[in-house]
Amino acid sequence: MKLPRLTIAIIGIASGSLLAQQIQLPQNPLQGRIVFEEKKCIECHAIGGFGGTVGPDLSKREFFGSTLELASIIWNHAPQMNRKFRQLRMNRPSLTENEMLDLFGFLYYLRYLGEPGSVSHGRSLLTSKGCITCHMVAGKGGKVGPDLERVQGYASPLFMVQAMWNHGPAMQEQIKKTRMSYPILSGQDVADISAYLRQATTGSADMRMSPGNPAKGRTLFEQKRCVKCHLGEGEARITQPGLIRIDLKKGVTGVATLMWNHGLAMMARMKRESVDWPRFEGNEMADLLAYIYFLGFEDKPGDTQRGESVFRSKGCVDCHRQAGGGRGPDLATINRFETPIRMIQLMWNHAGEMEDLVITGNKNWPVLSTRDMRDLYAYLRKVAQK
Amino acid sequence: MEIKRRDFLRLFGGVSGALLIDGCGLDEVFDLPANMIEKAKKGAGIEAWSSTICSLCPGGCGIQVRMIDGIPVSVKGNRFYPVNLGGMCPLGINALHELYNPDRAKTPLRRSGDRGSGKWEPVTWDDALKTVSEKLATVRKEGKSHQVGFLGYNERGLMREHISRFMRAFGSPNYYQFSLTQNDTVAYQLLQGQSQVPAYDILNAKLIMSFGANFLEGGYSPVYHTKLYSHHQDRNTRFVQIESRMSLTGANADRWVPVRPGTYGALALGIAYVLIREELYDKEFVKNRTFGFEDWVDRFGGKHTGFKSDVLGNYYPERASQITGVPSATILELARELGNTRPSVVLGDGGAVANTNGTFALMAVHSLNALLGNIERGGGVLFIDQPPVQKHAMVSEDPVARTGNHQTPIAQPDEIAFPMTDFSIESFAQHVLAERPYPLRILFLYRGNALFQSLNHDDLVNALKKIDLIVSFDSVINETSEYADLILPDHTFLEKWDEVSNVPSVGFTHVGIQHPVIQPLHDTRHTGDVLIELARRVGGTVGAAFPLNTYEEEIKFRMKGVYLSGEGAVATQGVRQLWLDYLQQRGWQIGRYASFEEFWDRLLEHGGWWNPIRKKKSSSEVFRTPSGKFEFYSQTLKASVDRLVAKAGAPRSSQNLDLVLNRLNISARGDSVFLPHHEPVSYEEDKPLYLIPFHVLPNPDGQAANLPMMQEMFGYTARRFWSSWVEIHPETAAQYAIAEDSWVWVETSVGRLKVQAKLSHAIVPNVIAIPFGLGHTSYGRYAKGHGVNPHSIIRNLYDLISGKAAFEATKAKITLAS
Repeated sequence: MKLPRLTIAIIGIASGSLLAQQIQLPQNPLQGRIVFEEKKCIECHAIGGFGGTVGPDLSKREFFGSTLELASIIWNHAPQMNRKFRQLRMNRPSLTENEMLDLFGFLYYLRYLGEPGSVSHGRSLLTSKGCITCHMVAGKGGKVGPDLERVQGYASPLFMVQAMWNHGPAMQEQIKKTRMSYPILSGQDVADISAYLRQATTGSADMRMSPGNPAKGRTLFEQKRCVKCHLGEGEARITQPGLIRIDLKKGVTGVATLMWNHGLAMMARMKRESVDWPRFEGNEMADLLAYIYFLGFEDKPGDTQRGESVFRSKGCVDCHRQAGGGRGPDLATINRFETPIRMIQLMWNHAGEMEDLVITGNKNWPVLSTRDMRDLYAYLRKVAQK
Repeated sequence: MEIKRRDFLRLFGGVSGALLIDGCGLDEVFDLPANMIEKAKKGAGIEAWSSTICSLCPGGCGIQVRMIDGIPVSVKGNRFYPVNLGGMCPLGINALHELYNPDRAKTPLRRSGDRGSGKWEPVTWDDALKTVSEKLATVRKEGKSHQVGFLGYNERGLMREHISRFMRAFGSPNYYQFSLTQNDTVAYQLLQGQSQVPAYDILNAKLIMSFGANFLEGGYSPVYHTKLYSHHQDRNTRFVQIESRMSLTGANADRWVPVRPGTYGALALGIAYVLIREELYDKEFVKNRTFGFEDWVDRFGGKHTGFKSDVLGNYYPERASQITGVPSATILELARELGNTRPSVVLGDGGAVANTNGTFALMAVHSLNALLGNIERGGGVLFIDQPPVQKHAMVSEDPVARTGNHQTPIAQPDEIAFPMTDFSIESFAQHVLAERPYPLRILFLYRGNALFQSLNHDDLVNALKKIDLIVSFDSVINETSEYADLILPDHTFLEKWDEVSNVPSVGFTHVGIQHPVIQPLHDTRHTGDVLIELARRVGGTVGAAFPLNTYEEEIKFRMKGVYLSGEGAVATQGVRQLWLDYLQQRGWQIGRYASFEEFWDRLLEHGGWWNPIRKKKSSSEVFRTPSGKFEFYSQTLKASVDRLVAKAGAPRSSQNLDLVLNRLNISARGDSVFLPHHEPVSYEEDKPLYLIPFHVLPNPDGQAANLPMMQEMFGYTARRFWSSWVEIHPETAAQYAIAEDSWVWVETSVGRLKVQAKLSHAIVPNVIAIPFGLGHTSYGRYAKGHGVNPHSIIRNLYDLISGKAAFEATKAKITLAS
């Protein structure tokens, strides 16, 4: 049994690396906050209650999906936004490719940042999950595990997750000895427990993790040998079930919880395959989780044939004719579709001009679904490569 | 090489602004090295912007300097820097006038005539440093290191620590700072044990009641406060300004309440009366977090009167009205508005503290915040965390330094006065003059201009004349440095490094990095580097106190602490406080850099670092008083007075207590002495008018008088430029047959000044006001000989608790000048 599984994994990795094309990852997704402010998105949209009220608060339980899902939302919304720009006498912002990547990364990242924990729920979890049997909190509890007073300086839930992960093997041994059941976490549990520990312990919590750097996480994914069992990015991941199955709508604590719950099975598997338990330090856990989270930023490959029909049916061809002759350039000649972000940037920047043409020509705004976007991108990329 | 400003601008293709000047017949001149002019003649070339921090006032605004081919040509606000968010005051916009000022000290100078004669000869840096270091070595060799003094200005952060380190290693306890904001924290020390100026959460308060705090025009950071003020309409904040002369802040308030000078405390207590009487105060806060509100019994069984009884017994609205001139109905209205609006915050400064009763008045004002439960709450009064900078180990003192540091500081009062401060310019002058307890042989002057700003100029001049060697580090020669023997000129702020951290009254922790946007134009040196050089020349433990070679390295060293803390964010990451709060609630921090070098580069690029997230504080951190609470009854003041009584003789003698209280100008007796109360000011009965000086934005402390554009804008609200004026209410003017623009004599018991009258309804009748900032007798061609200095005719009186000058305790008469 062991041999075929390992073979499948190796084949999977090999094919993944052969087919993979790396996702365009922002180095610091929070950088997009600057674009969000500078380009005056904040005048209409709030984040966490701070900003305009013309549009929705973008941090309120929004998850924008992959790059092209978000592109579809923005594109379809463009005429409405243009009307608001005119009403508010604002200039329609133009974006560079990097700015567009930063902005998209930022909006995508908002959900990852999670929600504040609930102190009261955290308190009850410590008892119901049996933590208090081994750990002492605020002078109460067992002495088998470390006194949780030690985590008082750490304000980020991920510090706790990292510590739990690192001492996972020892904890599992102890759980076996005491015949306790492995604590399974869900939803916001990690954030809630962390919030309670911060309040229950006496120190001021000043140590915070930085929201992860997905690019660094990509390196860690290799270094910590996650790649030995999990498919990362690229076409192989998309064609085979892998980490893409994770429900990213739950944000960072959701991903962390999934990892923790998976720990028992993972340890057994690693023992069998003689792989060392990966340990994390500093900001590594956040970086890795950010990378895993950003796997959802990548789109499935599109269908070029369908893309061509979108190009025609949505009226793009009316302006972008082959060999010129239309109002816009022949897209086959401009060779500027290396990445989806590139295409989105071009589309956004010419959306104002396009709206005028649509109105003056008595046409409808071409609404593009996520699938339309994917296929259109695949088609344009193929055409441009010729 | 001198060039007219208009020509300079023309070289870069612009003429706007040049036409504004000429009001006084003086054409502005820029003084630039010839090679820069030659470069400029080739026309506009490569443009670049460089971020730094403005140091023309204590406000600490982030600025961006526009450079054409490496030549600074204009300045604008750094829109990301959190203190000013792109805002600028006229002073900052004209910062180039300081850089290109033709009257700068361009090389070290040695006095060649009598002190104050203004005669100088150039000297090399090596000769000058040799003179100073040899004198320092001689003093040390004689075991008299304490006879060296350092009179600084308003330096904070690294520069203050740098000078302190030099003086401690050398062995002198005589490092002092003199500025108009000196000793501002005494009332907060007495009530809360806090030695920092608080920040007021103006943005989140619904009602702001200011007792004399002219925060839009003066104070520590007018641009920061203007930015906060700009939200008052969209946030429906209500502003009430209480002051004798309507300032710019008063003019922008929703309500101006005129009050008689010297009575701000009585008005605050009248308001407290209503808050208590109508139970509009925060009972829970008062019960759990204050001391001395109710009557109380001490551990010896002695009964004491509490704040509540004292206020209810003495400050009912009609009595407060008699003292202050504010109608009792108004007092009732103000109190009800304050008590029924939450959060509301109360500020005190300016006229409220510039009197002999200033400490008690500010205690009364700040007590309103305690009644409202405003301390360390959103929309209230905040005390800001220190930035997590890295610091050197304590200085290692050799035997000479140890002995010197244990000597009595020369400015420490040995008479019965100033119990809450270790420095008053008056004590300093008197003790240097009397060589008590020892002579002062060397004095370093760093920025500032004590002789122009203080009262009692004659004694200070004579004191300076007593000192063997005075060394000034200023970049321009002013009234005080005229008495120096050596000028070791510093760079202007656009040419130098500095760290500008935690500007007082700004509501978040921050560090601005001031860095040179241009190489020094003249043969000047950074004072920080000169001190390192002098320390090295003295040698031994003094030299060893400075392990790093330059001041720039010192800044880097400190900022490593900020980098390692992981707290806050580089200023221009486009983050606002609410966004940082958003991250904080979720356990994240924002600043993350691959290395210190990356962090440092970003700091320089963007201007600085900030952290609006305040640390959780325990009660003992907020209230550092003997009771661990807000003390309406100040046990700290009681202990200080007891010490003075003990010094005067038998500790429990009521005669000695009376003697001490009389010497401190305190007329109250019993427990009232230690409670916020109103102390009547002893005005001269034979003069009919209260004289008050006031401050204007373009030249708040007189230091900007050498910038021509600031002279041009000096009286922009009164339409008076390059000259002084006296403001007078039309009713009062009519009594003396004074018309608009009449020349008048303003005469006090100290002297008289001739100025033009400006009739104004924005001043209380029987009060006259003269702007401070002009009347220089030195300080370069643009400053000298314009206007008058009101401080020159103000009586030499002080708040004897805090040591602050009583600028509003003088009365005057006014007559038409022929």
